[in-house]
Parts: sequence; structure tokens; C-alpha cells
Amino acid sequence: MGLIVGLGLLTLCATTAAAEPPAAGSPLLFQEVRAIVQTRCLKCHGPLEPKGELQLGTPLGLARGGESGPAVVPGNLAESPLWQRVAAGEMPPDAPLPKAEQQRLRDWIAAGAPGLPPRPQAAVVGADHWAFQPLLRPAVPVNPARHSEATAIDAFVRQSLLAQGLDLSPPAAPALQLRRLAFDLTGLPPTPAELQQFLADPSEDNYHRAVEQYLASPAYAERWGKHWLDAAGYADSNGYFSADTDRPLAHRYRDYVIRSLNADKPFDRFVVEQLAGDELARFRAGEPTDLATIELLEATHFLRNGQDGTDIGVQEPEAFEIDRRAALEASLQVSLSTLLGLTVHCARCHDHKFEPITQREYYQLQAIWFPAFNPQDWINPKDRTVYAFLPGERERWEANEQRLTAELARLRSEYVEWLASHREPSELLLAEDFETPAWADHFTPVAPGDDTPGGELDWKRSTAPTARVVGGRLQIVAGPGEGWLSTRQPYEWSPPQPGEWIEVSFDLIDNRIDGPPAERIAFALAAHDYNDSSTLPGGNLLIDGHPSGPTSLYLDYPGTDQKQLGQIGEQGYKPGQRYGVRVTCLEPGKLRLEQLVDGLPDGKLRELVPADLPPGGFAFFLAIGRSYVVDNLRIERSPSQAAWPAAERERVRAELATRRQDYERRRSELLKQRAPSPGRAIAWVSDKSAKPPEVPLLTRGLYHLRGPLVEPGALAVLSDPAHPYEPRPPAEATTTGRRLGFAEWLTRPGGRPAGLLARVHVNRLWRQYFGRGLVETTDNVGLAGALPSHPELLDHLADQLLREGWNQKPLHRQMVLSRVYRQGAAPQERGLEVDPGNRLLWRWPVRRLEAELIRDAALAIAGELDRTPYGPYVGSQQTPVGEVVVAESTPGARRRSVYLQQRRSQTVSLLRVFDAPSIATICTARPSSTVPLQSLALLNSEFALKRGSELAGRVLREAGGSTDARLELAFQLTAGRLPIPAERELATRFLSEQTTLHAGAGAEPQSAPQAELQAWADLCQMLLASHPFLYLE
Amino acid sequence: MSHTVVPHSALPSSEPGSMSSWEWSRRVFLSRSATGLLGSVALRWLNQPRAAHAAPGPHRRPRAERVICLFQNGGPSQMDLFDPKPELNRLSGQPYPGQAKVETLSPSASGNLLGSPFAFHPAGQCGMSLSEIIPHTARIADDICLVRSMVTESVCHETALRIAHSGHPLATDRPSLGSWLSYGLGTGNQNLPAFVVLPDPGGLPINGTLNWSAGWLPAQHQGTPFNVQDLATSPVLNLSTPAGVSQGARRAQLRFLQQLNQLQVDRFPENSDLAARLQDFETAARMQSAVPLVADLSGETAATRGLYGLDQPGTQAYGTRCLLARRLIEQGVRFVGVYLKSQPWDTHSDNANATRKVAAEIDQPSAALVQDLKQRGLLDSTIVLWMGEFGRTPVSQGGNGRDHSRRGFSLWIAGGGFKGGQAHGATDDFGYESVEQVVSMHDLHATVLAALGLDHAELTHRHEGRAETLTEPDLTRARVVEGLLA
Repeated sequence: MGLIVGLGLLTLCATTAAAEPPAAGSPLLFQEVRAIVQTRCLKCHGPLEPKGELQLGTPLGLARGGESGPAVVPGNLAESPLWQRVAAGEMPPDAPLPKAEQQRLRDWIAAGAPGLPPRPQAAVVGADHWAFQPLLRPAVPVNPARHSEATAIDAFVRQSLLAQGLDLSPPAAPALQLRRLAFDLTGLPPTPAELQQFLADPSEDNYHRAVEQYLASPAYAERWGKHWLDAAGYADSNGYFSADTDRPLAHRYRDYVIRSLNADKPFDRFVVEQLAGDELARFRAGEPTDLATIELLEATHFLRNGQDGTDIGVQEPEAFEIDRRAALEASLQVSLSTLLGLTVHCARCHDHKFEPITQREYYQLQAIWFPAFNPQDWINPKDRTVYAFLPGERERWEANEQRLTAELARLRSEYVEWLASHREPSELLLAEDFETPAWADHFTPVAPGDDTPGGELDWKRSTAPTARVVGGRLQIVAGPGEGWLSTRQPYEWSPPQPGEWIEVSFDLIDNRIDGPPAERIAFALAAHDYNDSSTLPGGNLLIDGHPSGPTSLYLDYPGTDQKQLGQIGEQGYKPGQRYGVRVTCLEPGKLRLEQLVDGLPDGKLRELVPADLPPGGFAFFLAIGRSYVVDNLRIERSPSQAAWPAAERERVRAELATRRQDYERRRSELLKQRAPSPGRAIAWVSDKSAKPPEVPLLTRGLYHLRGPLVEPGALAVLSDPAHPYEPRPPAEATTTGRRLGFAEWLTRPGGRPAGLLARVHVNRLWRQYFGRGLVETTDNVGLAGALPSHPELLDHLADQLLREGWNQKPLHRQMVLSRVYRQGAAPQERGLEVDPGNRLLWRWPVRRLEAELIRDAALAIAGELDRTPYGPYVGSQQTPVGEVVVAESTPGARRRSVYLQQRRSQTVSLLRVFDAPSIATICTARPSSTVPLQSLALLNSEFALKRGSELAGRVLREAGGSTDARLELAFQLTAGRLPIPAERELATRFLSEQTTLHAGAGAEPQSAPQAELQAWADLCQMLLASHPFLYLE
Repeated sequence: MSHTVVPHSALPSSEPGSMSSWEWSRRVFLSRSATGLLGSVALRWLNQPRAAHAAPGPHRRPRAERVICLFQNGGPSQMDLFDPKPELNRLSGQPYPGQAKVETLSPSASGNLLGSPFAFHPAGQCGMSLSEIIPHTARIADDICLVRSMVTESVCHETALRIAHSGHPLATDRPSLGSWLSYGLGTGNQNLPAFVVLPDPGGLPINGTLNWSAGWLPAQHQGTPFNVQDLATSPVLNLSTPAGVSQGARRAQLRFLQQLNQLQVDRFPENSDLAARLQDFETAARMQSAVPLVADLSGETAATRGLYGLDQPGTQAYGTRCLLARRLIEQGVRFVGVYLKSQPWDTHSDNANATRKVAAEIDQPSAALVQDLKQRGLLDSTIVLWMGEFGRTPVSQGGNGRDHSRRGFSLWIAGGGFKGGQAHGATDDFGYESVEQVVSMHDLHATVLAALGLDHAELTHRHEGRAETLTEPDLTRARVVEGLLA
């Protein structure tokens, strides 16, 4: 109904269907009156200090009236002060009510104020709101005309229908019933086999069998898991900043939800695990655990579904605080909206405007979340991770590590040994063993070339930083300031011919001299210009070795024009090994720089151009924090052409290259067998410690205005002396137990919180089956929300959920077995007249398939759906203008939509255009829009075309040669039924004309079979764009 | 109300003599209902106009009907473009003499005062003083309402962009201004989206598609981005009939599809959704012709192309988007947002040269759009909004740059009932803080809505039980700035 946007001011919901004034007895009239009152009167008659004690924000406030008595007397305009003041133009004081709105108000009161609750007695405003009451167990009505109904749902729904002189519509055709059932329970269409089996015997028993079969299928858990994930605000990204960074481990929570539904986990347990799985789990980091415990840890990711920008926050402490607070608040908001259907977050800055929730209560609730999200003791999202492993996994991992380490060492030593005897000959340019004082003649603080002296530093003096020789080894001594120890001799660093190279190497004897280990081991090639005064660009390539990671490269170091060039190598500089770099000419104008460790190439490479490496010295870099000892410096290059005949050179190089490839292949094979750690990383939530933190109320919600400290507590309006909130610290006291206490408070049978939890959940289940909640505002059942259309039915179902031990499947079963669910969708005159919006459910409400259902069903029908469950998401890509696609070539591109990447800022366009949400907080009620962009997607997208041709292939393959049989299969697959005669006729004519067209027209006429296949592909694509496919009726 | 002041003759209509499928289904239904299947109540359904047109607004007489927003990502420097500050220039290089430290994003950015190197000259008959680096804007001085007293609430790009677009600093689920207008006023052309976005082909701005998100409004109100780089072949996703599908084949496909769908519409004549989708397939087909036509700039004269700077490399890219914006609103599009890649106005270093460079790309096409609209008689009914998310500091960052500033900055609005030839409000001697006739982003939103005949407090959408507005006047104190309006 998406194109219908209603009446602006009076728009209750974007999908409200009524464009005409509601009839006098209609519940819609009261909703409009409430909208008028809320918009016009709340400035003075809101919940905070209402004028004249008259609080008009809620139905109960309206019913209660003010200090001078009732505001509305149903059916009596003269006695209703609300009307009198409005009619006299006294209210609202600033501007009289527009005529149309006056008329609605008048009509409503005159009609007996339908929908107005009885005048309440409770003292606390809002405590008597229907959703906050303990669950009632309403008697199932007995309808006079019939003794028993198929389900209690039918009894309640028929009761309100009969009261209006309406009744349920006759049952829908069996095929349509099965199609609804399959889509609603599994998100997928019935298979032709299922359909044929059911149509052969559409008995009650067979329908029951189908229900059980679908409820037991893994697809049920994927379908209903997605509903929960939307309601819980699940996303694969952090949001908050536009970077919208990745949550690579979030999928474990998605899988937890699906697994839980597969396992038929009771709903209360499901909720408790998500709020406090860590407090239930007997988990110790570093010790083996079991799968059940792992599930508990995964469940807590629920608490981090909110947006969290703290992984990329800016530098200022104040901004840190804001971002952290925002993440804490988001977690609380998402959790309570999901579970309670209340907008608790509105009370962060002030007492709630509509709901009976004080600001103090907000911070008491926040105190429950605080120990896990303490802004003063924060954990960044990527560090909120725990490793868990099963018994034996760690041992297996360690054994594997040992084996791999040994094999890698053996492989390496074999290769080093081989290289020693197969070394390429070289021409030695410098070999310095630092054994004689002559070494000093080879070095200078002034690099050769166009350099000026390196500052005031003179390494020949004893002030650090300096260089000296002790015991035949060169000591680089750290000190304040910078400088370098360069060779006097310049070298040519860019060999001109392919295959030629130049190499520097030295032994790293030690990485310290009487002090802390060197932070870096750094040296420069092409040193020519320490003071950056050279006109020659390039050179001064600083090779900045890291003790335990890759080496960074800086060109033109130092100075403002220095440029970072990325990294080479990976092992890091450790004493006892020989290090170096080699520059090799790959082709004229293209050089390769690689790091060598013990003569072996190490890690990443970097390409350079000759301009980067003009002639210059080799220099050790002197600076603070970098004392170390080296020996045996060698600079050598490939032998000249003359010294080494070409044929011999090529033979040796080929042999070296082969051996190197072989070594690297075997090494990478071994490395692939390496796992980063035992077990699995889990993105979880837990309290930072068992010590209760101090939680202040924040005045006006401002972070710097700290008010009084608050203790953890739950909402007063749901409080019940028999069911108090109290923290439940676990035996090992690793957490505060605040969340576990909350989870138990929330789910304890008999309490008001459990009643609310059950009502909220049942209402959302109902919405998925009937297109609209029993309470229309599925995300808000508070005083500002809508009233239930069938309050007793809602309570009955919520009560049933508890009576069934929170097992959900009995509820699902009751929904789909009801006559309400199985009735037909055809219009009925009486129904259209009395209840055109079908609020009372006199017929099945025709619904468009949701976005994911369209995509998944198209894939399933075309025979392509990849049913692989679980695991990391299937990635999507954004085009330059922001369209988001899953390329057909992506691995997993044909998996169910629940497994596609759910990045907040990157909803797949095909799904987005059919109203898939881009999650900001939570989504419990999607609009169902109808826009031309949907038509374009169905007509022109690669996805639609591909599915059409795949489906045609399937139909021709499976249905044999007869057009009739093929058409029947095509309709069974797409519409879930056989074609009606008119459809058969249209399709047959289309096929024949289209085949002729393809065979005859165009630049390249097609062969008869090709033309026929193409015509079928056209037909199938159109069927996938057609009403019979897109709508459930 | 009619929004179709613009001739549609350039666009194809449905085939002569054919009626829309909605009309058809209605007629078929009427003929059948005569047989007594359904009675008068069902007829009432049929006599309603299609609800798609039942947009909430306008609330009062509109001055304007549509908006082009030339968004200047990064925060243009007011004291180098619009707001001359002799005192700032005089004290350039000295410490800022104000009592409190200048608020900046980066703590290191509060250097000494940095004067503007650019000369300012009186422009137009009104004589407003504008910088030498925007000579084309100077030529439209009498048509623009220059606001020198803007303020916003954040010096962070992400947050300030959210405020500028959706009025809220943090929420990422709120509709942007364009979406509110699509929701409030509907479209003026069923063959084009009501809200079109022209991003820089070089990349999305900060906050990406959030800048044109419909939030919790129905999806049809979100901005539809045009791929400006690929105007000739596929300006909108899935717009072109795929290669290999001949026109004849497609026509036959559509005919078949519509006949098939009609059977369903006949079964549920009261279901406006089914009928709307039936019509949408025709609309989509018409969009396929309408969009390429509107995107085809080849019919524009050499004079027009020259006016927008399409003949010069520096202005060609931005000029193309400005010209396209005009063509779109001519065809009834309600809101066009033109964006820059990343944030070129974000001149943290080398402010003077960077600002001069961006101005050279933006100035001529922006002014050309206003001139062109005026020549065509469209300026009176079209609001051109030239704005960034905030301004820049009077003190230097790193010696020659300027950091973000939210307490005082400038923007301009032309046409659509705004009073041209005036400079509204003023900042202090340094261009740091707005001190006279201060205008907040929320005031700006309220005023733009007012010019379009919409009351910002009454344009509401029900979400989570609340009647939500763009401006949230209770919180933001947003008000219509009458002084900006003619």
C-alpha cells in the first residue's frame, strides 16, 4: 500500500489505507482524535505538569480528565468540557482547531467516544495502561452459531466480526493456502512435489502434515531468524560514522539466532542468553569449553547490535566520551525497543513526555548496561572479542604449530644450505669486517654526492648518537639528534639491465648496547642529501627495519618532501641473523626492492623506478632509541657481462629461480595450514569486572553535567513486589550480575515485565502473518502507541506463549491452523462497507512478498538457490553512484538473503527497492511500497534476466515437450497453482508470437530451438514480475 | 493543486488514445459491477483519485514549487568568499583577541588570525560585497539572498551534514530535506522520480547515500542518484532495456505482463496496490524514454553550454550537473541535489589557493543556473540553495589553512520567493560568530518549507508513535525567517 501516504497531519502510519473519513463506529476515528489531541494539546496538557491536571497524551489521561472532572462524556457534547472549550474557540489558546478537526472531535464524542477506555482509578499516570498489566487469561468466546472453532484465534476474531454483522470469508483454494504457508513459515515457495502431493489430497491431515514439515525445516529458522534479527537491529557494520566499519564476527550472532530457532529454544531462554549469556556461561578465557557455552557467548552480541563509532573516534577525550556514551545508549535503546517495545531512550534528557518513565529510571536501567559499556573503562569494538576452544582444540592447534614450525625450519635450512653452494657469483664493492682502524676511512657523516654535513653530528666524537668499533664490531650508539654514518664511496643503485642486481647485507650481532632494545634498525640507500638541500629528487631511501614486523620505506628522508613508500619484508630484525636488501632490475625502468634474511627473500616486495635511486652512499641511520651492533657489511653486485658469460648466467639464474619458486610454494603451503589461534574468535559482551561502577544521572543528558549517582533498577511502572529486580552475580563473580538479574526480572512468569515481553513478541509474530499487528505500532506498545484491535486475543496468545513454556512453535501452529489465516482474500460487499481497511480480518489481507522473499524465491524457482547455511556474510559492492550489488560471480551470490552482507549504509539495491531496511536501530514493521524502480528492477536487472532464463531452462528440462505441461510447471513454480484458462490462453499466444518474433526478427534470426528457448525465458521473466508471483493471496 | 507548470511536450506520453491501466481497470470494473456483483460501497473506492497523489501539502499558498540544492561539501570559507572582514585582515598574524578560544575540530588548529588575501568588490545594484574569486556570482548578486549569519551545531563533517540534511545531529534513520519534499508535495511528473541526486562521478560525498536517505519515510521518497558519467547509456540503475532484448520483444513482454496482471486487478478491484503496480510497469517503461531524454544535453544551444562552462575543462563537470538539474526541474522533478566528491571546500591547509581553485570550478556553473532559470521564467518558482555544512575559522591551522567553524558562516538562496539582492545578518569583526539576525540550519529548513507552502510544524509523519517533523521545533526552536522571504 506504499503509494498511499495518507493525510499528513493525520497520517497515523504510512500504510494506513483509508483515504475517506472513518465511519462513526470505526476504531480509526478514535485514532484520528488522538492524533489531533496529541498534536494540538500536548504543549500544555502533556505528561509533565499538565495544566489543570489534565493529561491528554494518552487514552487513559483523556478518560481520567482533569482536576475539574471528566474531559469527555461519551455521547454528550454539552457535558464534555473538551468539546465545549474547543467549540468556543478557547482551546487551543493560540489558534482555534481547524474546522475539519473540530468535526472529527465532535463526531467522535457524539458517537459515544468509541475506543475511550473506562475512567481509570490508578494513582500513577500510566500504571493502568493495558500493556503494563499482568497477563489476563480471557475466556475464549463461544460463538452462538457454532460450538467450537478450529482455534481460539477464530473464536476471538469471529466474535468481533459477528458484532459488526460480518463473518470470516470462505476458505481459500488449497493451492493458495499451501503457498501462504510455505512462504510464511520458510520464506520459500512450495516445491512442485509438495504442491502436487497436497493437491492430490487437500485434507486437514495433509495440511497439518505440511505445517509440521515446514516448521521442522531449517528454512523456518532462517525465515523467522531474519524477523528476529531485524527486530534486534542486527547489522554487519558499526555505523555511527560514515565509514560504517565492518563487523567481521557479527555473523556468529546471526548464526546463533538461526541455530536457536532450529533447536526450538524456548523464547525466555533465548532472551536471557542474549542479555546475559556471559553471566550464565561458566567460561574462563584460556581454558577449553563446550559448544553450549560458545553459544552463550555468541548470544551476547545482541547487546552490541547498536551503532558504535568508537573504533575510529577522533583524538579529543571529549569526543571519545561522546562516542562511547553514544554506544552505551545505543545498546540500551536497541535492547529495550526490541524486548519491551518502549521508547525508553526518550527519558535520557528529561522525564519521558508520553510514557510513565522518569529520567532517573532511565539511568537506573543504564546502570545495568554500564559495567559492560563503561565509558571510563572502554573496550573498542574490535577488542571486544574472546577466543573459545573445545577440549583438544588447543592441543591439536599447538601440535600443529609445532609441526609447522619444525617443517618450516627444516625447509629453510635445506634451502639456505643449497644456496650456499649455488650462490650466484658476485662482484664485491665493499667488504668491511671492522677489524682494523682503516674502517674509519671508508665512512663519513657527509654522504657522497651533493650533501652538506649531516647536522652538527660528528660520529668521530664520542657524543651520542655516534658510531664506534668495539671488539671488531660496529656499534651504532643512540642519542638525541639525528645523523648518519655513510660510505664515502657512492654506488650505482639502479642496475640498468634486466636480471642485474645490487645488494647490501650485514650481520645483526645484537639489538641493544647496555640499554633497551633498539626500536628500529634503519639504514639508507642512495644517501646523497641529508639536509634536503639537493636539487636532485629521489634518493635517501630510508629502510626502517622493525624488530617484529615489516620494514617501512621512506623516500627523500628526511625533510618535508619525504614520502612513505609502503613496506617490504615481514619477519622483523632479530639478533643473530644476517639482514640486507637487494635491488634487481626487472625490465628497463623497473626495479624491485626486496628484503633478505640470511640471504633468503623475505615477505613483501616493492617496485621502484631508477629515479628513486640516484647514485649515493649506503648509510646507517643514527638517532635516539636505536642502539645496536653489526658486523661484516658487504655491498656487492651481479658480475659484469664480461666476467660471466651469458649462457652460464642464464643457466644459473634459471636454476636459482626454479629452486626459489619451489621453496616459496612449499613454504606458503605450510603457512596455509597455520591457524591464528586455537578455536574461534567471538565478538561478545561481558562486564569489565565484578566491581559495580559509579553511574551518574546526567542532567539534561549532557555528559559533562554529572548528577546524583544511581543504583541499577528496572521500570517502576512494571514493578511488582512479588517480582523485584536484583542483580544476580554468578558464583565465580566475574561480572556484576546486573544483566542476569534484569533478564530474570524480564522473563519471570506471572510478572508484568514478562506479560509485556510476551505481548510485544506475539504482536510482532501476528504482524508477519496478517500484515498488521494486533497493535499497529509494533515497535511501540506504550501510551503513545496504538491500541490493540483485539486486546483479549493478544492477551490470550501472550498467555499461551507462557503456558507453553515459552515455546514458539505452538503459537505458529495456531496462527496457520486458524480459519482466519486460511480464509479467502476476495472482496465482500458487506466487509468493504463496514470495515474497508479489514482491521477486523473478515478476509485474508493480500500482501506483497517481502524483499528477501522475492530474491530467495526467484532463485529457488529457477533451481539455483544455494542452501549453504551459516558462516561469514556474502559481500556486496557499491558502485560509484551508490548502487549496491552482489555480483553474480561472487562466491555464494545465490545463497539466501539472510546470509548477504547487512552493512547499514550498503543495503543491496535490489532488496532496498523492495523496502528491505537499512538498519539504524531496529525494524519491526517494514513499509510495503509500490514504486516504478521496482518495475525497472524486475524488467531490466541482471538478476531478473538471469533468473528468467534459468527458470526457462528448468521448465523445458523438467516438463517434457508439451506446451501445456510446461506452462503448468511454470505457473506452479511461480504462482503456486495451475494457470486459469485465461492465463493459459494469454501465455500460449505470447509464446507463439514471441517465438515467431525471435525466429524472424533482428539482425541475427535465431534457430527454431533458440527462438523457442528465448520465448520461454521471456515468459518466465514476466511470470517472476507478475502479480501472481509477487503477491500472496 | 497543479505542479505541472512546465511543458511536458518534450516527453513521450502514453500512446494516443490509450488509457492508463488504472483507468482501464476502473472501467472494466464498472462495467462488471453493473451486473450486481458489488454495490455502491465498492464504487466509492473507485471514485477516489489514486492515493499516490494524496500528498499532505501544501498547507498555504506556495511561492516556490521545487528546489535545487547545490551542496558545497566541506564547508566553504565565508571570509574568503562572502563576508569581507577588514579587521581580520588588519590583525592577520596576531592572536585572536576574543575572550574564549576559537572552537575548532582539531586542537592544534587555533593559530593566529589569518586574513583573506582576496579583494572584495560591491556587486550588482544592491552593492553587496563579494570576493574577487567568485566573479560570476557577483553578476547574480541582485538575485541572491546572501545569509551571512548561519550557525549549526557541530564542527564534525558527519554530524553537520546530518543536521544540514535531516535536522538531527546523530540519527541515521531520519529523512533528508528532499525526501520530506517528495513526501509533502509529491512529484510533478509520474515518469521521473520526485527526488533526484546528481553525485560527482568521481565519488560520493561524506555520509554517502545517507545524504539522500528517506529514513523511515516510505522508500519511494529516497533520492534516486543519476550516474552522470554514464548519462548516454544508463543514467539510472536498471533503466535501460538490456542488450539483446529488442524493442519489439520488450513491447510484447509488457503487453503479456499487463494482461496477466490485469486478471489479478480484476479479482481485487478495490486493492489500489495491485492497480498501482500495474500502472508502474507503464510508468517504468515511460521512464525508460523520459530519463534519457532529460539526460540528453545535445539539444542545448552553444550559448547555454557556454553559459554553464561546458566548453572549459575546469567547469565542464560541475556545469554538466547544474545544467542537468535545470532540465530535471523543468520536467517536474521536485528536488535535485547536486553534490561534490569527498569535500573539496575542506581547506585545512593552503586555504587561499585551495579555495580559489574550488571557486573556479563552482562559481560559473552555479551563477549560470540562476541566470538560466531566470531567462526561462523558472526562477520565481524554483529555489536554488547554495550551501555547505558549516564555515571556516578566522584563525589559521598550520599557518595557512582554516579549520571547521560552526558559529558563523554564509550561504545563499536564489529565487522561489526569497528576497534577492540582500545580505542578511552579520558575523563579528573576524567572521567567527554570527551576531545579527542569526539563522540556524533548522530555521533555514523551516523557511525553505514555508516558501514551498509547507508549515514545518505541520508536515508530519507518524513514526514510533510520534508525529515526527523535519525541524522538531520543540527542541530546535526552528522558525520561519520572514526577512529572507520576499
